[in-house]
Amino acid sequence: MTPPSHGAAAVQKRIEKTGDQALPRQALTPADNQELLRQLYLARYFDVRLIKEKKRGRLRGTLYSSHNQEAIIVGSLFGLEPTDWISPIHRDMPAFFLKDARRGWRNPERNGMSIEEVCSQVWCKATSPGRARDNWSHIGSKTKRIIHSTSMLAGTIPVACGVAYADRLNGGNAVVLTYNGEGSTAQGVFHESINFASVHKLPVITIVENNQWAYGTPVELGSPSPDIADRAKGYNIPGLIADGQDVLDVYDKVMAAVARARAGLGPSIVECKTFRAYGHGDHDDDRAAKYRPEEEVERGRSRDPIAVFKRWLVEHNQMSADEAQRFSPEGLSASEVTDDDFPPEVVQYLKEGIEFAIQAPVPPAEEGSRWVFAEGPR
Amino acid sequence: MSIVLEHKTGTKRNFLTAIKEAIREEMALNPDMVCMGEDIGLLGGAFGVTEGLLAEFGRARVIDAPISEALIAGAATGMALNGKTVMMELQFIDFISCGFDQIVNTMATFSYRTAGEVNLPIVMRGPAGAYGGGALYHSQMNEAWFCNSPGLKVLCPSTPYDAKGLLRSALRDGNPVLIYEIKELYRKRDIEQELPDDYTVPIGKAVVRREGADLTLVSYGQNVYHCLEAAEVLAKEGSSVEVIDLRSLVPLDMDAIRASIAKTGRVVVVNEAPMTCGFAGEVVARISTDCFELLDAPPLRVTRLDTPVPWAKTLETYVLPNTEKVVAAARKVLEF
Ligand SMILES: Cc1ncc(C[n+]2csc(CCOP(=O)(O)OP(=O)(O)O)c2C)c(N)n1
Ligand SMILES: [Mg+2]
Repeated sequence: MTPPSHGAAAVQKRIEKTGDQALPRQALTPADNQELLRQLYLARYFDVRLIKEKKRGRLRGTLYSSHNQEAIIVGSLFGLEPTDWISPIHRDMPAFFLKDARRGWRNPERNGMSIEEVCSQVWCKATSPGRARDNWSHIGSKTKRIIHSTSMLAGTIPVACGVAYADRLNGGNAVVLTYNGEGSTAQGVFHESINFASVHKLPVITIVENNQWAYGTPVELGSPSPDIADRAKGYNIPGLIADGQDVLDVYDKVMAAVARARAGLGPSIVECKTFRAYGHGDHDDDRAAKYRPEEEVERGRSRDPIAVFKRWLVEHNQMSADEAQRFSPEGLSASEVTDDDFPPEVVQYLKEGIEFAIQAPVPPAEEGSRWVFAEGPR
Repeated sequence: MSIVLEHKTGTKRNFLTAIKEAIREEMALNPDMVCMGEDIGLLGGAFGVTEGLLAEFGRARVIDAPISEALIAGAATGMALNGKTVMMELQFIDFISCGFDQIVNTMATFSYRTAGEVNLPIVMRGPAGAYGGGALYHSQMNEAWFCNSPGLKVLCPSTPYDAKGLLRSALRDGNPVLIYEIKELYRKRDIEQELPDDYTVPIGKAVVRREGADLTLVSYGQNVYHCLEAAEVLAKEGSSVEVIDLRSLVPLDMDAIRASIAKTGRVVVVNEAPMTCGFAGEVVARISTDCFELLDAPPLRVTRLDTPVPWAKTLETYVLPNTEKVVAAARKVLEF
């Protein structure tokens, strides 16, 4: 028996591009677009740099690469208000420092984590927001409005519902963005949460990063439809599909959902079509090469989000063809790129974070038994 | 039946009314408190515990949730993360299993994994316990699952006074607290008590329900009453039996247990949950360690057999602890 297959054509067919008229992107200035590109570079550089560190044996745990999926993180965060909440998961590490980054990467006032905090977490240091108690993406911040993630797939969507409900009671106007892989949408709590969010018209936006694979399981074995957004019908909410390789398309679709949520009309699902560049985690790279056909991987990686956006900038006269050539990590794997492929300010920003983390103290051993219960303000 | 009553003022309340009052009073005191659960608003709860709340506090704060225990637990966590105090009702404690992951992995670990950045004032409560013909899915005492999950406080009151006082403390505690309410006690006439106007009962403190010198019976919930009956029977045989009501399982009041065993040197622990990995076994293990030099006889436990709770009375009686089984174990320890 051959497994069911949705086919590559089905994956592409539902990405409805609406042209450039009257889209949220119209409000973005050329400077905003340059910042979007810089953030794409930063997300990519963070990923490749950590892959290199990991390969050198300098990091604990598993790295879930966001390579080729950066446009989803960057495009979805870019239009948010500082007071909005996000709930990133394992493949969204850059989201922690890109939240509210538009107000200045080094701006201490911004409602996102500093690169020092995020690197401290990756290097297991006491200066991590969670004092290195759980690994990698399992950090958060109440004040910065980032919901603390766990390993439990789809497990923070109900938490996001509660945060949104409380925000409404608190008199706020925040939206809550949750990130999920397409595989995680098979969890029961995914249904329970979106059902509740829709009943109460909560401003909870479910971003589905449909990278076609959930560890070793292709989407056709996890979902009866190639389009996770189809589920929205059952909850009586919009299900939008974005081209996850196109940062502006992600921005447009997410901002449409945000506008609706902020108007009190309730949740949306925004499915972003993309493709996982490497193995599930860095431990899986070799095996992934066996369970995923090479030509599928090639096709999936053929529309690098950095290249797609640069092309748009050139076409819209916001970048010269020469400028577009200057920093070109697109299409290259972590082992193939060098620091010269990235703008110097991007390299410098991460360098400072890593240096800070390397110098930072480790958590003292006795902290292992602390904070099982509340101990008062830290 | 002799129960040590701490207070004797005001009018008499049953167990259910005591809980109802605690919730109402805390809702009135704390504008940031929210109640959520299945059928708690319009209906007023399957047992009527939340009757009147919707009318008094409105739909925003009294939420009739869909039948989604994982969502309820997760949303309670999110609300608490964003400044609210949440009382979440489980329609029956048996159904808590559907929210298990949210409770043990997301809620219970929040303080730990954020190094204390986030503390969650959440009370989960619901009707629990057997002896009423509730059969497999309306009789459970699954407290051991949660006592084995760091980050949760677990309570089981046996009197109206404690039910109200502990619930009020729990709602002010700032940690997730799970309360097993024995539904067979909800409307039991002979345990009704007069309650003072404004009081709390501290979490983590056991209480001596009957003083004695020869043997200690340690229990909680409705098994406390089996222990008190067993103490009467044993008194007629000439043994003086002390009965300790734990009230709080996590944290556990080992000082109270140790103080009693220092007097008696002998102990039997009773709970209605199944034997293997049940909480009684944990208490026995703690006694073996913490009261090592005080014991004159090996400690015993009386528990349900390792079975679910069956329906027919004959079957139910066969598998559950009762006064006779407690007396038999007590005699064995006394005679050692
Ligand atoms: C509840 C739960 N079950 C299983 C896992 C193990 N696991 C971690 S990631 C993953 C695949 C997730 O796939 P998807 O949701 O598509 O996200 P992706 O990794 O592709 O971004 C699995 C099975 C888990 N973390 N949590
Ligand atoms: Mg996936």
